[in-house]
Amino acid sequence: MPQALTQSPKSSRLRTAMLVGLACLASAHAFAQDIKRGGTLVLGSTQVARHLNGAVQSGAATALPSTQLFASPLRFDDKWNAQPYLAEKWSLAADGKSLTLNLRKGAVFHDGKPITSEDVAFSIMTIKANHPFSSMMGPVEKVETPDPLTAIIRMNVPHPAIVLAMSPALCPILPKHIYGDGQDVKNHPRNSVDVVGSGPFRLVEFKAGQRTVLERFDKFFLPGKPYLDKLILSINPDAASLMLGLERGDIHIVPFTSAPADLKRLAANPKLVISPKGYEGIGAINWLAFNLTRKPLSDLAVRKAIATAIDKNFISKALQGGYSPVADSPIHSSSPFHVTDTVRYPFDVKKAAAMLDAAGYKAGPNGERFKLTIDFYPGPDDQQKNPAEYIRTALKKVGITVEVRTSADFPSWAKKMATRDFDMSMDANFNWGDPIIGVHRTYLSTNIRPIVWTNTQSYNNPKVDVLLNSAGSVMDPTQRKAYYAAFQKIVTDELPVYFIDQVGYHTISQKKVGNVPSTIWGTASPFDEVYLK
Amino acid sequence: MRFFRQLLSRVLQALALVLAVVVLNFILVHAAPGDPVETIAGVSGGMSPELMAQLRLQYGLDKPLYVQLAVYMGKVLSGDLGYSYFFNLPVASLIGERVPATLLLVLGAVLSAFVMGTTLGVLSARKPNGVLSQFITVLSMVGFAAPVFWMGIMLVILFASVFPILPVAGMRSIDSSGGGIADVLDVLHHLVLPTFTLGLVYLAQYSRLSRAAMLDVLGADFIRTARAKGLADRVVLYKHALRNALLPVVTVLGLQFGNVMAGAILVETVFNWPGLGRLAFESVLRRDYPTILGVLLFASIVVVVMNQVTDMVYRLIDPRINAQ
Amino acid sequence: MTQIANAAAKVEHPTVEALRMFVRNPAANAGMVILLLVILVSIVGPLIYGADPFEIRAAPLTAPFTEEAWLGTDYLGRDVLTTLIYGGRATLLVGAVAALLSVSIGITLGAMAGYYGGRVDAILMRVTEFFQVLPALLFAMVVVSLFGAKLTIVTLAIGLVSWTGTARLTRAEFMKYRDLEFVRAERAIGAGNARIIWRVILPNALPPLIVSGTLAIGAAILFEAGLSFLGLGDPNQMSWGLMIGSSRQYVLSCWWAVAFPGAAIFVTVLAVSLIGDGLNDALNPKLRER
Repeated sequence: MPQALTQSPKSSRLRTAMLVGLACLASAHAFAQDIKRGGTLVLGSTQVARHLNGAVQSGAATALPSTQLFASPLRFDDKWNAQPYLAEKWSLAADGKSLTLNLRKGAVFHDGKPITSEDVAFSIMTIKANHPFSSMMGPVEKVETPDPLTAIIRMNVPHPAIVLAMSPALCPILPKHIYGDGQDVKNHPRNSVDVVGSGPFRLVEFKAGQRTVLERFDKFFLPGKPYLDKLILSINPDAASLMLGLERGDIHIVPFTSAPADLKRLAANPKLVISPKGYEGIGAINWLAFNLTRKPLSDLAVRKAIATAIDKNFISKALQGGYSPVADSPIHSSSPFHVTDTVRYPFDVKKAAAMLDAAGYKAGPNGERFKLTIDFYPGPDDQQKNPAEYIRTALKKVGITVEVRTSADFPSWAKKMATRDFDMSMDANFNWGDPIIGVHRTYLSTNIRPIVWTNTQSYNNPKVDVLLNSAGSVMDPTQRKAYYAAFQKIVTDELPVYFIDQVGYHTISQKKVGNVPSTIWGTASPFDEVYLK
Repeated sequence: MRFFRQLLSRVLQALALVLAVVVLNFILVHAAPGDPVETIAGVSGGMSPELMAQLRLQYGLDKPLYVQLAVYMGKVLSGDLGYSYFFNLPVASLIGERVPATLLLVLGAVLSAFVMGTTLGVLSARKPNGVLSQFITVLSMVGFAAPVFWMGIMLVILFASVFPILPVAGMRSIDSSGGGIADVLDVLHHLVLPTFTLGLVYLAQYSRLSRAAMLDVLGADFIRTARAKGLADRVVLYKHALRNALLPVVTVLGLQFGNVMAGAILVETVFNWPGLGRLAFESVLRRDYPTILGVLLFASIVVVVMNQVTDMVYRLIDPRINAQ
Repeated sequence: MTQIANAAAKVEHPTVEALRMFVRNPAANAGMVILLLVILVSIVGPLIYGADPFEIRAAPLTAPFTEEAWLGTDYLGRDVLTTLIYGGRATLLVGAVAALLSVSIGITLGAMAGYYGGRVDAILMRVTEFFQVLPALLFAMVVVSLFGAKLTIVTLAIGLVSWTGTARLTRAEFMKYRDLEFVRAERAIGAGNARIIWRVILPNALPPLIVSGTLAIGAAILFEAGLSFLGLGDPNQMSWGLMIGSSRQYVLSCWWAVAFPGAAIFVTVLAVSLIGDGLNDALNPKLRER
């Protein structure tokens, strides 16, 4: 409010207030008028969802449809703040050992039955027992339901990640009267057929590997929403086809696009909008993983030399078109826990060669010091495969001969990682919001297991264990940040992995799509506010 | 009576063959590195070891290979193809969903190639050095030498950017719903490019084969005899020669069904056609054992049946064999 | 003695005649010229050109017919012309060796089945049918994911699934020849089975097998291209199929990275099949009568 208004006489103040009030009302009305109800939105994706139940299946592929079919207690905005969703009020106890959720009145499932705290309790315990991310609901002991609209989650230790774990992608609320029939929820037939959910859209058709068709649920607990009549999730493993569909107008929105060639080409298209927002929650980082059990990678000097021989700026700018910012930390830059005070390795070929000489790895007569192999996660080429091929060329310049090993498919690569059958490997890591969920698993010495995306590097530093466990068990964000700051410094100094860049995911949409989801979870959240202009 | 005994022995032989193929494939896919649980861990973005162990137990993957094989064979022989590890849906329904698409593609390609190819070949046989004949030679060269997926990609570029009159992906429009005439037309519209791409290879072959066979037959004795009898040229050509000329084409057609799978996989991949080829390929990538084996079983049965049918048709058409 | 000499003389004469017919065939000549050119470029090109096909030479996605890159660059910035020159080696090698393997297996099994007949034939025919029913592409896929995507494995996989056509052809030929006069004569004078198969029948049965062999080379090249396209090729060896496969998702931005390698495959396979056709015409006794 401008200063002048507060000093005017009472009556004109009142008049001004009324005018302002009317103006606000008018603009709100006008805004509401701009939002047209109706229409069918087509979303294109290359990822195949196994089924539609996000309570027992993680990953972006399932999150896309699951967040439409099922509501969660809370949702998040683009500033990491929790917002009311199924729960209209919530409160975290000071000791961090209990979270109370107060559910809305009158919310119903797609079959008309009311959503109660019993369903919330059932869902959370189901997630705890079946969800692949065991650290998410790990400390949860039980969920009390003093009345049908109140659920109290009780944990045995302070669990700072519990509020984030209430996100749509991580905590879908399932109907107990359907899924509580004794069958294993992981393989429940109602996961892909006749799905009864709590979210803004209901299921029309699920064709495995092809498409999912959803339509508006008329009795959704947020009145007036969703705006769309229908939502179609179309699967096409060929990214080029998706881009074509966008250009032709058949497809309205394609999330998780990272190919620089596509982004560049479509940026010039006046009918399309490209946005990097919506991927902060997932926090994807490309890195070069080292197998610390193998010589000479067990030698820190060698790892530092390799890091110095790689031009991250080239990878980020030339290979990835400038769409993927350089990464210098295990924690994504959008996270409140990210710090910039980490150990860096500016690109310097001569220095790298000198480091190797000093460490005792002299070059042989043909210029070669030693051989290494590099594997890569077989996803889209531009994120892991191309950097791997570049790294081969880059390391050749300092006398390291690198052989690029392809894996025919994901299980072949995952097996190599799980059995430690690798020297170096280009991989991507998802933070999944709170570091407890997606970051700790790579560095804890207790997580050295024969499974992909655990501590496959065999990194073992007791100091780091203590830092991570401490950060995971205190509630005060300032304290947590201090622990994580120290952790980031150590890890970039000891290089179990070398962080390359943050995956440049973008959402491409037609201009006519309004309210493109851009919270920290992006398209992995309900589309209840999306509309077609 | 002898016919039935022959038929029975054929059927039993065919069955044994199919089962042998299934056993080999079972061993092969289980030998490939990684297992379905690792795939599921992959799409989940990571998984706790306890959950992985649970899944392995559920899918029976902890048992020794021969036990798993015995269990699977038992199920197959009782008609149960099992559930997909990846989708938790019955393999039979996954296959059933995709069979029409592949059938449409393959039959469309082969039949149109057969009709067009034999017509071209027969017509060109009248003037072995004429323009049509030379065109066929060139066409068959192109059809054989051009990699089918390259052809498909070039067509995609052509019809995606230059002449956007045909769809280049999928079997239906993305937002299609309901059936009826509109749906049939939609599918036909989408069918044009993939069928043409796959059919080109066969068109080339069939026109060459039928022309060569026609030329062969036209010089044969009994045709000369027929001509000498005074029948009109055209009747000679079509009635007597055609039958013999079709023989090699029919033989090749039947025997080719094995190669059809490979071509179908490539074409279905280029055009995102929701068929069995794509399902098989993606299932191998996902180590979805029940689905892989189910599709292979189905494909093997089709090939074996086609072999037998071809054999029988061959015997029917070839007058020399019948005479024996 | 004289009968063997006569048999040998019978084989000699048609060969010379066949060669003559072949050389007079314009299409076959064209094929030979093209193939020789391709082989020449593939062998000599890398030695003269001296660049690294994997090296990033210019900005990614440069258009063809420009100063920096005559045929453009791909999504990584690799020069397409360089990959064409270097890619021929792997492609031709795989094609030739895989074809050799499949033809060897095919001839061996087909000869034994056709010559011995009876039990041996029945068993070998079952084996042939088995490999015919086995979906080739999927089998190759699994083999590659099992043993790694090396050039040797890919070649082996292709050779192992492609021999059934040759086997059937050989069997048919051997069945035709085994009861002929001069063969029975050989047996009468006590020649062993091995000698009859390899020294007596095979040379006569060779013509259609040679044709089949050249076609097998073309088929093997296409097979390797298909495998690379699906992502199962050897990533450390530049081949034309690999180029197409890795550039496929960028085809809307750089069609040249897919068009030119594909054209190279097309031209090579075309040349091979023209030669095969020419051989077929030259060696086919029926056509010779015209």
